Amino acid sequence: MAANNSVQTTTPRGSSLPNRNSQRSTLLKVVILGDGGVGKSCLMNRFVSNHFDEHSFHTIGVEFLNKDIEINGEAYTLQIWDTAGQERFKTLRTPFYRGSDICLLTYAVDDRASFRNLALWRSEFLYYADVEEGSTFPFIVVGNKVDVPESEKQVPTEEARAWCAENGDPPLVETSAKDATNVEAAFGAAVAAWARLEAKLDRPLIEDTVDLSKQQSPHRSSCCMPGTESNKVI
Amino acid sequence: MLAMVVKPVTDNSEIKVNKESSKKKKNQDKNTLSVINRDYSIMTDTTVRSDLQDRNLRNKILNRSRNSGGSSSSNSWSSYLVIHPEEVPAIWYNENWEKIERNHITDSVQLNSASITYCGPKRGFNWYFKIKHGILKNIKNKVYPAIVTGIQETDGGFFENLGTLLAEKAREQQQIEGPLPDNKDQAEGKQDDADDDDEEGSIEEPTEALLESDSDRDENEHAHNLVVESVGWNIEELYAALVYLAQHPVGHDVSNECGQEVLLNHLQQAFKIDNETHEQVLEETRNIEAPQMHLNVEVIEAKELVSKDANGKSDPFCALYLESAPTRRYNTAVKPGTLCPIWEEHFELPLEDTENDVLCLEVWDFDAAETVREKMSKVKDVKGGRGLMKLVREIAVTATTGSHDNEFIGRSRIPLKDIPVTGHTMWYPLEKKNKSKRRGVVRLRLAFSAEHNAQVAAQEHRHLLRILLLYELETSKVEKYCWCGRWSGPAEAIILQHSAQRGLLARNVTLAQWVEYSRVHQEHPLNFTVFNKLAVELLRPLENGLFSNDEIKIFWDATKKLLHSCLNSIRKIRRLAVGDKNAMVQLAAILGTLSTIITLNVPEDIDLFPEKMYGWLPEADGPRTDILQAIEQTVIQGGVEWFDHILKNNTPESDSDEDVLKYHIKMIQLIRADLQRAIEFHDKLFIKKINFPYARTLYIMYEKRICDICMIIIEDICARLKRIEVENNDDTELALGTTLFELYLTLQRYAILGQVLCAEGLEDMKIQSYYDWFRGGVAHWLDIAIYKALKRIDRAVEFDTLQPIDSTVQYSSSAVDTLTIFYQIKVFWTQLAWPDVEGSYTFIAKIIDDICKCSVAYADKMATKAETTTELEQIAEHQSSVYERKFEVSTAWCYAINNIDYIRTSIAPLANDLGLQSIIDALSENKTQQEADRCRATLQLIIDNATETVRNKIIELLEVVASKMTPAINRYLMEGAELIDTTSNAMDRLLHYLDSNLTTLHDNLNEDNFERVLLVIWEILSETLYELVNDNLEKRRPPSFYSNLHRTLHTLIRFFNLGADETANVQVLEKIEHLLKLHGLETAELIHRYSVERLQEQKNLDESMYGQLTVRAQFVDNSLNIQVLNARNLRPMDTNGDFIGKLSTLERKLHSKSKERLREGKTRKCDPYVKIKILPDEKFAQVKIPKTHVQKETLFPLFDEKFNIPLTAEQRGTEDAIVVFEVKDKDFLRTRFMAEAFLSFAEIPETTADHEIETLQQIHLKLSRPINKDSDVIRALEHRKGDNQAMDFVSKLNNKINSR
Repeated sequence: MAANNSVQTTTPRGSSLPNRNSQRSTLLKVVILGDGGVGKSCLMNRFVSNHFDEHSFHTIGVEFLNKDIEINGEAYTLQIWDTAGQERFKTLRTPFYRGSDICLLTYAVDDRASFRNLALWRSEFLYYADVEEGSTFPFIVVGNKVDVPESEKQVPTEEARAWCAENGDPPLVETSAKDATNVEAAFGAAVAAWARLEAKLDRPLIEDTVDLSKQQSPHRSSCCMPGTESNKVI
Repeated sequence: MLAMVVKPVTDNSEIKVNKESSKKKKNQDKNTLSVINRDYSIMTDTTVRSDLQDRNLRNKILNRSRNSGGSSSSNSWSSYLVIHPEEVPAIWYNENWEKIERNHITDSVQLNSASITYCGPKRGFNWYFKIKHGILKNIKNKVYPAIVTGIQETDGGFFENLGTLLAEKAREQQQIEGPLPDNKDQAEGKQDDADDDDEEGSIEEPTEALLESDSDRDENEHAHNLVVESVGWNIEELYAALVYLAQHPVGHDVSNECGQEVLLNHLQQAFKIDNETHEQVLEETRNIEAPQMHLNVEVIEAKELVSKDANGKSDPFCALYLESAPTRRYNTAVKPGTLCPIWEEHFELPLEDTENDVLCLEVWDFDAAETVREKMSKVKDVKGGRGLMKLVREIAVTATTGSHDNEFIGRSRIPLKDIPVTGHTMWYPLEKKNKSKRRGVVRLRLAFSAEHNAQVAAQEHRHLLRILLLYELETSKVEKYCWCGRWSGPAEAIILQHSAQRGLLARNVTLAQWVEYSRVHQEHPLNFTVFNKLAVELLRPLENGLFSNDEIKIFWDATKKLLHSCLNSIRKIRRLAVGDKNAMVQLAAILGTLSTIITLNVPEDIDLFPEKMYGWLPEADGPRTDILQAIEQTVIQGGVEWFDHILKNNTPESDSDEDVLKYHIKMIQLIRADLQRAIEFHDKLFIKKINFPYARTLYIMYEKRICDICMIIIEDICARLKRIEVENNDDTELALGTTLFELYLTLQRYAILGQVLCAEGLEDMKIQSYYDWFRGGVAHWLDIAIYKALKRIDRAVEFDTLQPIDSTVQYSSSAVDTLTIFYQIKVFWTQLAWPDVEGSYTFIAKIIDDICKCSVAYADKMATKAETTTELEQIAEHQSSVYERKFEVSTAWCYAINNIDYIRTSIAPLANDLGLQSIIDALSENKTQQEADRCRATLQLIIDNATETVRNKIIELLEVVASKMTPAINRYLMEGAELIDTTSNAMDRLLHYLDSNLTTLHDNLNEDNFERVLLVIWEILSETLYELVNDNLEKRRPPSFYSNLHRTLHTLIRFFNLGADETANVQVLEKIEHLLKLHGLETAELIHRYSVERLQEQKNLDESMYGQLTVRAQFVDNSLNIQVLNARNLRPMDTNGDFIGKLSTLERKLHSKSKERLREGKTRKCDPYVKIKILPDEKFAQVKIPKTHVQKETLFPLFDEKFNIPLTAEQRGTEDAIVVFEVKDKDFLRTRFMAEAFLSFAEIPETTADHEIETLQQIHLKLSRPINKDSDVIRALEHRKGDNQAMDFVSKLNNKINSR
């Protein structure tokens, strides 16, 4: 039940034929958060279409793209929601947090403020996604713009690592959407982190099926899953 | 929504729904309720055919009544129909509808409070169908929100509340609030209608429009006790003067009508004088001489005078005198030579006896004392004979008398008492004794006057007016605001007498009225039309400076008082009864008065708006004289007071957010109502009269206050909305959502009104960003919405019986219920009309994403539902034998699939209905095209994702259906294949099974889905077949097993009607076909197939590893001639050459190169010869196999040998026959196979006998060795373990392969 919204079959777009042999792939909702201007949209575009636009605009509210990837032999379809970082978009973006499977917290290595705000982003996400503080959720911290000269770098990797260690130890990936450094890796790490957590959560389920309370992964938004209830009834 | 419940009535005319029984029935009735529901909840279904629906409905109802079998059945909910009153066909209004009390139905039917419920005339069911039919005709393609099912109740009609019901509420409110004002242009054109009937006239009746309430008294300037003030003046002196006036009236008019006594009485009462004093005064004044009056005469002109002179003209002049003193004459100047002289001369005649005297006016022709000679000189001027006669007479007269002799033209006698006391201007005819002929007319202006001090007289007049007016008001009991300047007879007579006898000018009288009326107005308000008229009259004298400074001062003092009253009235404008004509007339008069006053120059030393009186005006530095500004501030003050009044008289029922919101809605509605009144009734007047934007001023004033009270509370509530407890089923919070959006819509309408009223300055208004306050709320609502939607979908699926809701469609109730949710969300969104584009875009993205989630969830639920439903059905059918049990496709499955598909196809149109395009357009306008494109892409992607995901669900479900059919199919196939006897009916049973299931699918699925399921079944079928074949390969099935299956395959292909263009899984099909074909072959055929394949392989070889053989061949009649010429590049066979075959092609190539090098040093040769065989073996068994001689130690042997092989005609005609050339190495001990080449009969030319074989083209054949043991043919042969022929072949082949 826990994964009933995340596993869907997806078939390649455009084929009107049913393809019975299509791979079952896991559908994951990914949300990218971070200050305005740290390069969230660029990350997404680099990842999805391997394209980089030097002069991209502010994102309006949210943007959405799909991407199929394979991690450790498993097929995944990532539904990536890119959000607008500006404060004025806050009410517009927060409704999209609910039901996310993965959250990318991004900062720019040449922007200290964006790094400092990670904590705010993290708590905003937890609040609006209705995830309990302290529960394990697959966050991943992405330091973008590593292509800048060393002199302009304001957030040392060690510091970022230290922050992660103190905040639930999410994986840290330093990327550059501009020269495509580590972008795939970042998303890959995110999915891997999700898979690890999922495996952990599934294990007690197998071992101890009597305990119904564990059937729902705690990080999932229980609100949107009324089905669990009624299914129990049936 | 107004709704009408129509219900057929049978014998039991009394309608009562037993609550318990209806509850019990609820579940059973669900289906039929849905039937009804559907008609109103479906979005738009153009395919609805009312007649079909009708029939279907009829069946439903008939079934139902049969099922329940009693008269009580008519009371079940199944037979109610909820009808919007507008939809009831007109003719049915005439029928005897019966009203049903609401409480009888509320437990199943949720209706708006305004519902009217009816049930039909008592006449069985027919009426019901007719109505139904009529209604359906009306509602085709219309959208009707569902009200009736229980589904909505489960969450308290969450979506309806925010969708259609909210829309309904908003519409109602909008109607209450009234229409928006017209555009300026239109308003201007319309203005003229209601104007101009605002003059007095019909205002006599008392009005209740109290412009100023009693509570205003304290604010008024201290009410003057007029009587006390009057006493300060010597009232008796005035009284005496007036009594005297009454006793000695002048002129015509009133004195004649009223009589002296009446006037005296009136005075006595007005002045409240006791009888004794009155008598005394009367006595005194009687003895006083009549007043020293003057008659002012202006001789203006005369016309049509008779001519007196010989020249046909006269030289007229006038003489005036009173008959009492005929000697005292007043003469005008002589106007020579005219019959229509203009004099315009003023005279003042002292009067002694105004009652009996008569004014005489004589017109004379002037004749100077001319000499005869002078007279004679005029002869030349004489005209005609008569003129000459006259002249002659004149001359004669002049000559005889020698003195002048003016000639009399005519006289007019005017009795003084005929002259109106106010004076007049009139034409008087001239007469002459004994002459009846007209003598001409003279125009005179006549007026009385008295010699008095003008100031004293004016003051006297004011006091008189005051006293009389007070008396007048007292005696005639005139209501406030009603007295409009009309005096009673005696009073009027007295006033006229006074003004005439005191010689007051009109402007003095008007001013006196202005002053005194204003004063009295303080105490007893008069009709404002009085002031309006006076103001107009005063305007000219004021503008022209005809008043003295003192007069101007008293004018402004009075005006000050009046202004206060005017402004106060405007301030209290809300007490006017709206639409009361009198009130409007008053307002028009006030504004008219103000408009006049505004044009005047206010003296600088006057403080028009003293703070003492105008506590509510904002403080000013100095004296305030700007009247317009004061009006504006007054209007604002009025609004503020009204606002405070509303605030004071309304309080939230409790501190709950709900009540607070309701309170705010009410506030805005009240304000809106006030504005509407202002717009409808007052605004035009204000603009027309004083060009003041009344409504706009009010709007701006209210706008600030509304924002102040609403913004914080809304933002606060929205912020607190965040969390919802999943477990908490309490609906209060959800209702709050509804109220919140009611407030939103109320504010929205207010903002829109502002856009109409205020062309500029909109940006500064906070109200224009009202939606910003709600942002959090909308986000929150969307959050709850998806949660609620998923819950409701659960219920909808649960209640769904997977029966079509009627015969025209192939989906069931839950699909409709689910779409209803989406539709309601859409309605909600449409209503919000979110003004901010970026916000709209994002919210829409969220909504579509949510709809997608719901659709997927629905698909999941539907799949589970279909499975359980079918299982239950089939258990119920008791298929006892396990063997017999097979999956039968149920209609439930079909409807489940159709439902999902119905939802799927609705997603994209629904998304478009949300206004995607307009938002994208707006984005590209406000932002860049690029950004708009990106947003569009995002939205499109979300939609595509949704449809795609749901489609995958459908396919998944179809696969489930098909795979459930697999075991049965498998079994039939096995049965069919195992039988050697091809007449078995196993195949028939398979086809029958498929046929019955496919028929079910075909009948119940829509076309697309049927196509889909067909493909899926076909895939599964082919895969099953493939697996079946593969599984049985190991089981030594006889070839007939496979050939049976092969036949079946072809039957199935025909059955599925899969043509060449069919895109079905061709690869699998080919594989099966191939396998079945091979396995179905007899061994010999199979072996030959191997050769054929080898031939094919040989042709496909690029380059031979084993050298090349050159031959010639021909057919002459039935004999085959073969010439083996040579072989080249043969591969030497060395003892340890085995390994070569194990190497990869590339390695082998390399190897061969090194071999050649090796050969150069140590040449290893072989002894080759060629053996010729013809295949298939069994056909050519009798043919002698020829072979060539052995060529020693060479890899390039030259044979050049010819062979003739006679064949029978049958052999010659063998299809696929192949000549095989085996190259062998003749060793000492044994011969070894080296390589072989194949030549098919088809490649050998047929020639005549005389055609020498040497002349034919050489044929180069690439040599090859069998290497591949993996071919299907070999595998098939290997499977035939018991078959010697097959085993021989395989072992021979192995020998060949291993021949190294």
